[in-house]
Amino acid sequence: MSGDHDYEHHIEPWGPHDWSHGAPHNSFAPLVMSIGFGVFLYTFANIFVMGELVDISSMAGVMLGFIIITLGLMIWWRQDMSFDGVYEPKGVGAPFRNIDLRKVAMWIFLMSEMMVFTSLFSTYIRYRLGIQNCEELFLSGEWVEGTTVTCFEPAAHLIASSWFHLAPGAVNTFALIISSFTIVLALKTAKMSNKKYAKKYNIDKSDVDAHRSRKVGVFLGSTLFLATLFLTLKLIEWFIGFPTPGPLTELNHGYDSIKSLYSEGYTIHAAAYTNVHYDADPTSKYFHIPADSALAMMMDAGTHPGGVMMADIRVSASTFYVTTGTHGVHVFAGMVGLSYMTFKALRGGYGPSNAVSIEYFGLYWHFVDLVWVLVFPFFYLF
Amino acid sequence: MMKRRSFIQTFAILVIVGLALNLAPEADSLPSGIGGQSEKGCICHGAIPDSGVTPSITGLPDTFTASTTYTLTVSFTGGPSGTDANPMNLGGFNLAASSGTLEAIDEWVRVENGEAVHNGIDDDANNDGVDDAVAAGGTPITSGNDFTSWTVNWTSPESGSTTFNLAVNSVNGDGVASADDKWNTMSVSVSGPSSGVAAEPLEPADPFVVLATLIIVSGLLLGIVILYTFYRANPDGFSWEAFAPWITEWLTSTDHKKVGTLYFLAGFFFLGVGGIMAMLIRVQLAVPGNDFLTQDQYNQFFTMHGTVMIFLAAMPLINGFANWLIPLQIGAADLALPRINAMSFWLQPVGALLIFTGIFSGAAADTGWTGYAPYIVSETAHSGTTMWVAGQIMLVASSTLTGINFLTTICAMRAPTMGWMQMPLFTWSIFVANLMLFISIPAWGVGLIQVYLDRTIGTAFYHVASGGDPLLWSHLFWYFGHPEVYVVIVPAFGIISEVIATSARRSVFGYRSMVYAMAGIGIVAFIVYGHHMFTSGMSPTLRFVTMLTTMLVAVPTGIKIFNWLKTMHKGSLIYRTHTLWALGFLVTFTLGGISGMFFPSLAMDTHLHETYFVVAHFHYVFVGGTVFGMFAGIYYWFPKMSGKMMDENWGLLHFLTAFISFNGIFWPMHKLGVMGMARRHHTWFVSVDEYTNIPAEMASWNLFISVSAFLFFFSNFILIGNMIKTIVSGKKAPADPWGGWSFEWMCTSPPPTPSFDPHNLPVLHDANEYHEEEPGKFAQWFTGLMVPEDDSEVSH
Repeated sequence: MSGDHDYEHHIEPWGPHDWSHGAPHNSFAPLVMSIGFGVFLYTFANIFVMGELVDISSMAGVMLGFIIITLGLMIWWRQDMSFDGVYEPKGVGAPFRNIDLRKVAMWIFLMSEMMVFTSLFSTYIRYRLGIQNCEELFLSGEWVEGTTVTCFEPAAHLIASSWFHLAPGAVNTFALIISSFTIVLALKTAKMSNKKYAKKYNIDKSDVDAHRSRKVGVFLGSTLFLATLFLTLKLIEWFIGFPTPGPLTELNHGYDSIKSLYSEGYTIHAAAYTNVHYDADPTSKYFHIPADSALAMMMDAGTHPGGVMMADIRVSASTFYVTTGTHGVHVFAGMVGLSYMTFKALRGGYGPSNAVSIEYFGLYWHFVDLVWVLVFPFFYLF
Repeated sequence: MMKRRSFIQTFAILVIVGLALNLAPEADSLPSGIGGQSEKGCICHGAIPDSGVTPSITGLPDTFTASTTYTLTVSFTGGPSGTDANPMNLGGFNLAASSGTLEAIDEWVRVENGEAVHNGIDDDANNDGVDDAVAAGGTPITSGNDFTSWTVNWTSPESGSTTFNLAVNSVNGDGVASADDKWNTMSVSVSGPSSGVAAEPLEPADPFVVLATLIIVSGLLLGIVILYTFYRANPDGFSWEAFAPWITEWLTSTDHKKVGTLYFLAGFFFLGVGGIMAMLIRVQLAVPGNDFLTQDQYNQFFTMHGTVMIFLAAMPLINGFANWLIPLQIGAADLALPRINAMSFWLQPVGALLIFTGIFSGAAADTGWTGYAPYIVSETAHSGTTMWVAGQIMLVASSTLTGINFLTTICAMRAPTMGWMQMPLFTWSIFVANLMLFISIPAWGVGLIQVYLDRTIGTAFYHVASGGDPLLWSHLFWYFGHPEVYVVIVPAFGIISEVIATSARRSVFGYRSMVYAMAGIGIVAFIVYGHHMFTSGMSPTLRFVTMLTTMLVAVPTGIKIFNWLKTMHKGSLIYRTHTLWALGFLVTFTLGGISGMFFPSLAMDTHLHETYFVVAHFHYVFVGGTVFGMFAGIYYWFPKMSGKMMDENWGLLHFLTAFISFNGIFWPMHKLGVMGMARRHHTWFVSVDEYTNIPAEMASWNLFISVSAFLFFFSNFILIGNMIKTIVSGKKAPADPWGGWSFEWMCTSPPPTPSFDPHNLPVLHDANEYHEEEPGKFAQWFTGLMVPEDDSEVSH
């Protein structure tokens, strides 16, 4: 079941840990990481206060926080590096007899993650359904130029303006789905018994370990690459934008670039949001305004002068960025874990005896993927 | 015959106590009531001084010479005085000097009890503007009311300084006390020649300095205790070379017993800090119109008191018990994830530090522990609020990790033969509490992150102008907040079940119903939180539904109370200290439960909400429930944890003083609440003409409460003293001092590490249910779904 428990065997708290002695083993990692989180939260609040950039020099403190957290992680991993499945405690109580404790713990952890995203979706549903939609408000004509109205502008409305606008999100969806596949391949490769492995790849039994290490490393590395691609595309979509090549400009309503959401004015700060859709210029009317809408009729009757609708969309932008951002943070956390796992795999850390580590990370990774499958339609399509 | 006599005695005592409770409010501490004229001026014209009236004293020297007579002119301007055609009835005054002698000069001024006041009653009953005495042909009686300026002589004392308190009224002259009439006070000090012993008045204490000093002193004392503990362990090895590995062991340990002890240390420290805050609050509330804490400071104090007591005292203490006892009770070597467990602990002190940054910068969170939006995201909320939120985010992370750990441990690490229905009730209670916490706390965590981002990078989740909904915060908060209050009480249920069963020397009555009752509380907890939002404008249908579900909570709780009574009924009770605390718990918790039943009733809630009745209720369940339960647990398990027996005489003294003073604090608060004393207000006034004020006969209760609060605070030092005394010189404890039969009593006191040999886990011999029933049908079905790991042949 597990190794000898030698409780008099005190390992130095910086690691590495001798797992054949079992738990408990002392560790500085919890203390160091907690201090790092504290430093991060404290200094970050000094940089921005109520949306104002107050003290950029506190960025140094944020960096320090990250360094301390990384230091803590290094200690944790240094102790974990030697883990080879020797000490794998298993459940003894019904209904989890002979199930790895780590597996039970991971499923329970995902239960709370579920609640995190449920709460974020509750916020979204409350605001999406509770605040009048910007387009509806615009077409109702119940606004005048120069006065800000509060309404909900779904990011999807902006993104749906062009297929190219949707491209980063669409590519990301496939990137995550493929990454879920590569991590399963890594698990399968790591789990295969030596005999089977040698037979499958037609190699000598003595070469199996090196071959396997490289292969598991490649699969985990691919997963890491896809996760990095996901976050990169997200940054492009939020803040950077991208050009559309010449021949495709035609398909993009004649524009030669896709602006980022930020430069489109879809930000948490903008007190007033304007967009081409909400510009009721009398000379080009009916371009975006259906003739049977209240606004068109009012403009025809001369009771509405048209103009640009100023919309306060801070709540919709906050909901969009924080919900997709929370998912992004989960992807980032996965990347941190994957970096370590790739490193460990290339050093021959994963074999049939402890392949389950990849499985338990995979549970988390599939969950992150699944959340995206819900986030994508709600925030990008609908 | 004897039985009957003891019944009569009990009845007589109850009658005396009842009479005392009813008669005591008549016993005012001052004949004129607190806050008489000399202290706060005449308050017959409204409760609050009006700045439109300007009192003044002229003729005072900058520094007086000893035994000299000065002529002072007292006057006022402003207010409604003189607005009426009536030249009489202009106003009045009261001048008090802290030393020296006052003497009247004008005939319309008199000196009464050493204070100068205007003389006479204006004699104009028919209100025709002519004095009745003159109208009748007599000599007019000069009334002091007809002036706005008066002169008095003051003879200075030998030395020291004198403070003059002046109160003036400005009235509209209609001869009737009405809301138009205003009053104001002023105070001025004059110093004289100093005598041999300087009698300089002390600077008023800044409560923040008091609090910060006390926190630092407590921290230093804690440090000294830690050093002393190290010294006691090995008096010869008192050196850095020996200390460094010792302290490193504590900072890095992942052993459930050591982490549990750390939780206890942190919990007791913050219990003390929260207690100090409560004492400063009670100093402020002892007398009406007090200005020891300003309104702004008071807001921070009650916010921090609530936060500290719930998140930094109650929760760590519960985790201390859980850490220590869960592996021992279910026969596991340690928790499932020891390193994660250490992480749960260390997030707490760092989070606490963030929460306290506000206290040390003088701008702590002033939002209340509920942190209601939109105030919490407004710029008016103190800067410390951001750090309060940041610290709470860390505590949420800690609770989540704790939840993973304990749920995994209890689900999967019960010793062979210990089925779900053989688990000790304390383990069950921790399981239910952690499940509730685990499912509910992410909602609050998300809310906190939203607020943190609102307050830093400027998102707009709760900005009303941009369409943000403050009620969304209330929902996210109370979705967590209500299960949270059960999270802190359910472990106390577990402790009480253990203590009462052991003390009654029988197994607990209705074990299964106890489990189902706790599970029922765990489920119902999620559908009752609307009762916190009855007055927030929630839909009437939802209000009605939550009213019914909230009342439903009384059913499982009642089952538990009756099961405890029934356990004692056929048992043979022995009265140890922990038994006394458990019995005390039954009384106070039941009282708290009964007062809780007033709130789900919509109409009652509308009347009682935001009053001291609420404060009384939740302190009866938090202190009388959770804290009393934990005190019972400490006396019960301390021998197991330390290996030493506690002093039962000290324990008895602690119980008697704490139990009586606790009821002295919170029982009168019910009455104050019903009379309309509002909670979260920094002070209160005695008057009948404004509905926010409380009647004069209730005033002395506040002083009584404050005195009781100090008694309760200091009585708990008996416990601390007892624990230190026990560790230093206690009698050695046997493995099972009380005759308990759960697994923790099978190992030595203190238990070895590992608590149980993982290769030779204990086997349950005695339980409340037959083993044949385990695993049950559900567990069998669930086990069928589980695929056992196929890597068993490769691990050795």
